[in-house]
Formats: sequence, C-alpha cells, structure tokens
Amino acid sequence: MDSENLPADAAAPGTVSVVIVDDHGIFRSGLRAALGPVIRVLGEAATVEEAESVIGATAPDVVLLDVHLPGGRGGGGAEVIHRCSTLGTPSRFLALSVSDSAEDVVAVIRAGARGYVTKTISGPEITDAVQRIASGDAVFSPRLAGFVLDAFGTASVAVDDELDRLSARELEVMRLIARGYSYKETAKELFISVKTVETHVSAVLRKLQLSSRHELTRWATERKLL
Amino acid sequence: MRPPLLRRSDGVIAGVCAGLAVHLGIKRSWVRIGMAALTLASGAGVFLYAWLWIFVPTAADKAAERGRPTGPAAFMQDIGTKDGKIRPAAGTGAAPPRPAGTFDAESWRERTLRAGRREVLFGTVLLIAAAVIVVQLLGVPVNWGFLVPIAVVATGAALAWSQLDDVRRARVMNRAGAGRASGMLRLLAGIVLVIAGVLVALSSSGSWTLTMATLVAVLAVLAGVVLVLAPWGLKFWRDLETERAARVRETERAEIAAHLHDSVLQTLALIQNRADSETDVLRLARAQERELRQWLFADPARDPGSLAERLRGMAGEIEDRYGHPVTVVAVGDAVLGPGEDALAQAAREAMLNAAKHAGGAISVYLEAGPDTVEVFVRDRGSGFDPAAVPADRLGIRESITSRMLRHGGSSELRSDGDGTEVRLRLPRQAGSAA
Repeated sequence: MDSENLPADAAAPGTVSVVIVDDHGIFRSGLRAALGPVIRVLGEAATVEEAESVIGATAPDVVLLDVHLPGGRGGGGAEVIHRCSTLGTPSRFLALSVSDSAEDVVAVIRAGARGYVTKTISGPEITDAVQRIASGDAVFSPRLAGFVLDAFGTASVAVDDELDRLSARELEVMRLIARGYSYKETAKELFISVKTVETHVSAVLRKLQLSSRHELTRWATERKLL
Repeated sequence: MRPPLLRRSDGVIAGVCAGLAVHLGIKRSWVRIGMAALTLASGAGVFLYAWLWIFVPTAADKAAERGRPTGPAAFMQDIGTKDGKIRPAAGTGAAPPRPAGTFDAESWRERTLRAGRREVLFGTVLLIAAAVIVVQLLGVPVNWGFLVPIAVVATGAALAWSQLDDVRRARVMNRAGAGRASGMLRLLAGIVLVIAGVLVALSSSGSWTLTMATLVAVLAVLAGVVLVLAPWGLKFWRDLETERAARVRETERAEIAAHLHDSVLQTLALIQNRADSETDVLRLARAQERELRQWLFADPARDPGSLAERLRGMAGEIEDRYGHPVTVVAVGDAVLGPGEDALAQAAREAMLNAAKHAGGAISVYLEAGPDTVEVFVRDRGSGFDPAAVPADRLGIRESITSRMLRHGGSSELRSDGDGTEVRLRLPRQAGSAA
C-alpha cells in the first residue's frame, strides 16, 4: 500500500517480490502457483546456506520462510533471519510452518519474522499476508494470537508501554484474531480503522520480540503444543 | 509336572540346594548331604554347586522376566534360621503379610545374618579341613602351607563372586545405595583376600623381606595387567553402550515405521483411490494430519479429560464427518466438571450447526480465565436470522441456550452476512459447584 516502503528495485508499484525458502520442492512449487499475480517470485532456496545467498543476491521484499530448514548450524528459519540481518538486506520475513510447536514459532518470531502462518493457508490469504508484510505490518494467524495470549496472559493489562504485558486494546485485538476474525472484521467489531488494528498488531509483535519476560521462554519450552 | 529349577531365595548360601530340592521333590537335607558327599569326591560338589549358582536363575530373576516382581515375596516369610531344617516351600498361594517389594534389602540382610553367613563359612572351612584330615589319615602328605592360602583365595573369590547375585537382585529390586556400598566393600574384601592368599602361597617358604618384594612384584604385575587391559575393557564397555544405544534407536525406528505404515501409507493409498473426490481427499488429509500431529506432539502430561482436549476431539470428529476444517485455539484450560461438560456439548452443537449450514472453515476459540470460561465458535457462512428459525427446531434453543442457562452460564448468537458466531460463557465457580 505505501510504496515508499518498498525497495527501489521493485519492478512496478504494487507488485511484491518474494523468495520462497522451504526444503520441500513440492511445497515450493505449490506455493508458487498459489501466490497471486501481484507477487513476483525471485527465487527459491532449500537450505539455510542457499537461503542466505539467494536472499543476499535478490534482496526480495518478503521472504516466505519455513521454520524447519536443513543446513547451517541447525537453527532453521531463525538462523536464516539472523544471518540476513548481518547482511543488511531490507527483506522482511513471514514464517510458514506445519509445526504446532510453540518453541519453533516463538524462536522465529523473536529472531525477527514479522508474522507466522500455517502451511494450510489458502492462496488469496497468503497473497494478502505477503502484501501486508511488505507494507510493514505484522501478520498473525489465530494460532499465533493464541500463543501470544497464552504467553502474556489474558488477565493483567499494561499501563504505559510495558513490554511484558499487553494493553487492553491489544488484548481485545488478539482475542478477536484468535477467534478467527480478519483485520477488517476486527476493525469493524472494535469501531476502529484497519490501520489502527495493524498498529496494535505491530505493537504486540514488538513486545513478543523484545520482551525479556521470563515466562515467555519458559512457557515456550514447556509448551510443546498449543 | 516338576516345578522349574530355580534358585530359592530362602537358601543358605545361594539357594541352589533348596531349589534343587523343590525341583526334585525331595528333602533339602538330602540334597545338602548329597552335595557335601560329592564335595568329598575331589571337590566335585563344589564345582557342581558353583556351576548351578552361575547358570540357574533365581525365582526373582524369573519373576522379573515375566514382569511379576511380586512373585518371590511369598517365599520370603517364615525363613528358618538353622542349617537344613527350613520348612519346605511355604505355599505359593499364601499371601505374604509384608507388602511385596519391601522385603528386599532389609530382610535379605536380616536373613543372611540369622541364617548365618558366618556359620556357613565356618561350616565350609570345617568341612574342607575335615576332608584334608581324612586325606592325611589315608596317608597322603598334605602341604598345609599351600592349602591355607588356597582356602583364603577361594574365600575371597567366593566373596567377590557373590556380587553376581546382588547385581541381578539390584536390577530386579532397585536397591538403595547402602546395598551398593556393601557390594563394593565385599568386592574389595574379596580382592584383598585373593591377593593375600596368593602372596602367602608364594612366600610361604621365604623371609619377610622376600614377602615384601613379592608384594611389590605382585602389585606391579597387577598394575601392568590393569594398564594393558584397561583400554580393552573400556573399549568393550563403550562398544556395549553403543550397541545398546543402536538397539534402542532401531526399536524406535521400527516403531515409527510401523506407525507410518499403519497410518500415513494407508491414508495415501486411500487418497489415490479417491483422487476424483475433492472433499474426500481433503477430509482424509485433514484427518491424517490430525492423527499424525497427535502422535508426534502429544504431550503425555496433558490431561485428556481437559476442556481443551475435549473440544479438539469434537472438532476432529466434526471435521471428519463434514469435511470442513475446524481450527481450535485454546488459551488456558479447564478441568471437566458438569458445567464444563455442558459448555463442551453446547460448543459441539454450535460447531455442528456451522458445519451443516455454513460450510467452510470454522474457528473455535477457548479462553479459560480465573473467573470465566468462554468458547467462541465462528463460521464464514452467509449468516441467518435467529428469529426466523422455526419454533420446532430445537438445536440452538435447547442444546445451546437452555443448556448454558441450566449451568449458570449464558450464550449469545450473532449472525450477519460475514458469518455467524456463537459465544458461550460459563462462570467458573458456578460451573464447579453445579
């Protein structure tokens, strides 16, 4: 939407360039086919090393990143994000996973991914998610919202800009997303604009990434599954 | 049919004679006398005894093999104190007054003390002495300076070998640390006795300085042997460990292969058969995914009777029946009480309605707070007017609204062009009190 956020080498305003990183060839080609026409696939990678070089060479707007990847030091998707952050590429990351494991998801989000969706996501949904990520927003699936609510707790509410707790509004937004509401529906439900919903979600993402909250890591390791 | 040949735990030394007596169906005293008589025949009895000791399993071993560690407990009561006058088998059926499992270390020690290991050793020594004297009386010259050390060595070896039983027993009964310490002590005593015996045998004719020199020599040889054998022993041990680990891995692999074969491969075959029916394929894939997830990630600590698990189960069942994906997101969890059960039933009804009438993906969200438990069931159907539902349709009114009210909860239904959402709320105290 705001094209000044896009890197200069984007082919045309409105198109988003992506790199698909996944170790399953079948899934990569399926995903490539499912992505809408506004999305241009610059390349694919199957391992941590490949991902690093492809992302470094093509500098896509968005990287669709599988959480579990072979290669590297065994860090999977999170390691790709770490390596690319040292490269200084402007790419943003959307984590894709079949895994139900909270540890994996939290690891990749805390490494810097701007969103997390499951691999069963439909073509239009993933296209929408990629565009959202490209414009600087965060993408939360109901399951990730559930993770967040479980990790931060649903009872206490942050005063000021506490990193360890969610504000009342953020809680409401997370709850609606967990209930299966889209951003638009959430905005309608809360009588706020979609932009405001996006702001709240981004704030939650920031808290999820920055919070030194003790429980977050402990919780993630305790919970194998949600 | 004869009872199996097992070493009895109520024997005097290692239960060989007692076991043999039971197996052969004769009195223990006869077996013992026979064994002693055989011993006089160039010590054949001793060898027979040792051989049986090593190769005949104890009743406890046998029971452990069968996974019934309680077996030997029945034999542990009423143990005779003196030599051969132990009452034969106290009846296998008789239940022991002492609970099974407590008898091991304590009573074993008690029993050995009472049955008198000392007396047994003393008796053995006397027996051997008698044998030697008999031999001497028959006119064969006896070298006492050679025989005594041999006896000492034999005692030490017996002491060390008696470990064999303890190791087995420890495996069966998981003895406390005290048993391990006494085992070490026994082993050390055995080694010292053997070394001393060897030394005395070697230096029986020499002077004190010669003895010291021999001692040093023996120690040096022992150290050398240890030095040479240690790497080999270590390697052997490591190989053993590796092999065990490999076996564990192999078992795991076999289990995984078996599971994949029974589930995933079968489903893939089914999917190939039904490739023309999209709904069938989708349903099969979802069901298989759920099953595999359950198997891969299921946390055994998780309570299968919890509300979240219940909802997941219901969601899976509805998914299978109607082929629409049902996603359950749970924040917190609750124990199933009457109220929670009603809540789950109401949620099931809501999911059923959504699957039947709306189709498409269904989202279920459970939030269990300290005061209330809420469940939201949302679909993306075209919506309906709740007021327009005919009065004879009981689904929503009876199964959802009244059910929630009866348990002190409430329900709300919202429907518009974007879909329908059923909201169920249950106060926690009322739920557990109902």
